[in-house]
Amino acid sequence: MTDPPEKDETPPLMQRLFDNMFLLLFLGMAIMLVVYTGWGLWEVATMPQGTLP
Amino acid sequence: MLTKVHTGLDPVPGVWWKPAHRAEKIWVAVAFVWCMVLFAMMPLWHWRGGQNPAGIRTRVKPGDFYARTMEFAKQYKVGEDRGFPIVQPPPGSDVYLTGLTFQWYPILQLVKGERYRLHMSSLDVGHGFSLFPMNVNFQVVPGYDYALDVTPNAAGDFRIICNEFCGIGHHTMVGRVIVLDEKGQALSDNPGARILGGRP
Amino acid sequence: MTVTSAIGDFRTCPFTGRRIHRQAEGLVKANAVVAIVALLIGATAALLLVLTRWQAVHLLPAVWYYRILGVHGMNMLIFFIIYFEMAVLWFCATALLNSRPAAPRFGWFNFGLMLLGALIVEWMQWSGKADTLYTSYPPLKAHPAFYLGVILFAVGALNVVGQFFATLVIAKREKTYEGSMPLVVYGAMTAAIIAVITLVHGALVYIPTFLWSIGVLPSVDPQVYRMLWWALGHSSQQINVAAMVAIWYMLAALTVGGVVLNEKVSRTAFVLYILFISMASAHHLLVDPGFGPAWKIVNTSYFMYMAVLASMIHGFTVPAGMELGMRLRGYTQGLFGWLRKAPWGDPGFSGMVLSVIVFGFVGGITGVTIGTEQINIMVHNTIRVPGHFHATVVSGTAMAFMAATYYLLPLVFRRKVAFWPAARWQPYLFALGMLLVSMGMTFAGSFGVPRRHWDISFSQAPFDVQFNPAVDLMLAIMGIGGIMAVTGALLFIAIAVKSAFFGEPLGTITPGVAMAGVPQGLTNPPVHRPDADAINEELHRHGALGPTPGTVVLVAVFFVAFVVYYFTNWKLLSVLWKIG
Repeated sequence: MTDPPEKDETPPLMQRLFDNMFLLLFLGMAIMLVVYTGWGLWEVATMPQGTLP
Repeated sequence: MLTKVHTGLDPVPGVWWKPAHRAEKIWVAVAFVWCMVLFAMMPLWHWRGGQNPAGIRTRVKPGDFYARTMEFAKQYKVGEDRGFPIVQPPPGSDVYLTGLTFQWYPILQLVKGERYRLHMSSLDVGHGFSLFPMNVNFQVVPGYDYALDVTPNAAGDFRIICNEFCGIGHHTMVGRVIVLDEKGQALSDNPGARILGGRP
Repeated sequence: MTVTSAIGDFRTCPFTGRRIHRQAEGLVKANAVVAIVALLIGATAALLLVLTRWQAVHLLPAVWYYRILGVHGMNMLIFFIIYFEMAVLWFCATALLNSRPAAPRFGWFNFGLMLLGALIVEWMQWSGKADTLYTSYPPLKAHPAFYLGVILFAVGALNVVGQFFATLVIAKREKTYEGSMPLVVYGAMTAAIIAVITLVHGALVYIPTFLWSIGVLPSVDPQVYRMLWWALGHSSQQINVAAMVAIWYMLAALTVGGVVLNEKVSRTAFVLYILFISMASAHHLLVDPGFGPAWKIVNTSYFMYMAVLASMIHGFTVPAGMELGMRLRGYTQGLFGWLRKAPWGDPGFSGMVLSVIVFGFVGGITGVTIGTEQINIMVHNTIRVPGHFHATVVSGTAMAFMAATYYLLPLVFRRKVAFWPAARWQPYLFALGMLLVSMGMTFAGSFGVPRRHWDISFSQAPFDVQFNPAVDLMLAIMGIGGIMAVTGALLFIAIAVKSAFFGEPLGTITPGVAMAGVPQGLTNPPVHRPDADAINEELHRHGALGPTPGTVVLVAVFFVAFVVYYFTNWKLLSVLWKIG
């Protein structure tokens, strides 16, 4: 038997975080822009000049 | 105490952050461990495996790389085939290969079991280095020198297929790599081009 | 001040009782129709291509092969799929939340903007001004209008994604539903977030490239372009994954009463997609000179394979939800009674299940494997890559979209599904054809056959290339599969067009009475037993394998297949030349 949800019951933090669409959008963008895009650009930018030995 | 039975189309009132059933937990745990195995395999192969795309990667001017390639070809030229120099560099040395529309320059002649530092770049647009038939593939990007230490493990007469679209002549772009056996013998005649060794 | 709609702006769906906003419904229909037109162009192109790569037939001349290849890529991967996803977003935010859409007139503007962009791109490709393939890697250069067309399309799509978020906010504020949004809408939200990541990178790559094409910028670094482009190109396929999974849950509910086993688990999987899945754009850059192994390993693994964990979770919860839903309806016989008794004649069901199976077993397993940094050495730019992605994008996403259409037609277009006997086996025909295409391409690729290549007889090349004779067989299998799949696709298009524009209007449905042209989920809506909650608790308490033992067996089989395929590929890699 399941109890019906109480009107004033605050959902757990994780549930509220998962329900926060804009937080998820921000995190998704931020992680991608740092780990993939930012780091990737840094890899290319810091590549040494070749000496053609 | 589970949430009421509902489908993915139903909104979910109340608290749905609830523990999973044991079977689900076990599957998630198994999947998680598998993901860790998948992840660990890559650094592991860098450490203990024989094939890695790390290499020594530098920036170059396309024109400079091509000039260096031509100099290299002149220095170690041992023959010619269909207009291309056959170049046999000493083991352990820097070897240069340029992709340009629509050819691979020069023809390399290597020895089985010896190590070479193969530098690859393009004079013009992007090309795809695909060593046939063993299916070794790398991206060849103008402006970048991709230097990889390679050790042929079989003698034979191989081809380099271009597998990155580079224009209307893309499908005519084929190069050649000859690998001599330990005694320095070629295993095929020129231009017989029998492919030996490697995987089917 | 909130803008509220008039009562007449809504209709009540006679089958589901939902409040449907008329303008939103119009937007769903318009986007879906254009999607089908793009699918038609793409499918026609597919036939021409597959009859050219089947070397024995070699239909198109070289210039047209490369040109049509670009057309195929653009129409399938961008226009068809994104237009369909716009329809999905409009539908999920409104119909599934009983909400009005945010700024529907702006929605029509964006629809038009996308259409303008698409038409410009088509014109450029067909007239030979963009013979650069769909990826248009610099220094290859297309006419400036090509890049501009893509930018307009992307801007329109990004705007609609914004409207999707705005609609979700409106729905929440106007309390059109209670609690958290349904899981299907959560999946659509996941797709929308990934779409933002995708389209932002699209802007980052296409704007400078456009400026280069008109001479404002002196050059575009080819390696940086590749990195940014694939953040658009591969991530757009991850939008597809999220949308596909959302549709799986939706069709599971509609066709068999599939339930959500555990919201926390399923939503966590979607969150993992949001956070990590886009990084796997690095799959295309694993053998590029621009990046070191650390960047490649972290990104190609979607951060330690957390997004793969997510897919493996959905791979369990989707079938498990169907199994539990069926058990709660009384289908309790043995391990697989629920599967045997499932409505295999309902194309909404069969299409969805085939999508799950082929995406999981073929697409997913091959994708993770070939996206391994070192294994990619054997795979990059061979035809094994399209072998993989036809199993994911086509057999997975496109197939799920087709399955959804069989319910969209009666529910949204309010028409019966035309050519009903043919519709019932269309998913099987398409799935089998595509399976042969993927298998043929995958095996040919492992013999070294290149992708995007007009002539592997190399008749005009200076040196000969003798492929293993098995390659001819593999490409023939691809060709035959392609003919079957295109037939299946054209059949689907014919069904969709006939139904939407010339179909028999759907009148009333008598519950329990089967009707030709109406899938069983609507004539016999799945209903759980009245004591379902009690049975659910009971099933959770007993049974060694839990409430869904059949699914446990299925995922065990999947897991074994995954492990075997994965390590076999490492073995194959190990016999190559030493490289490093």
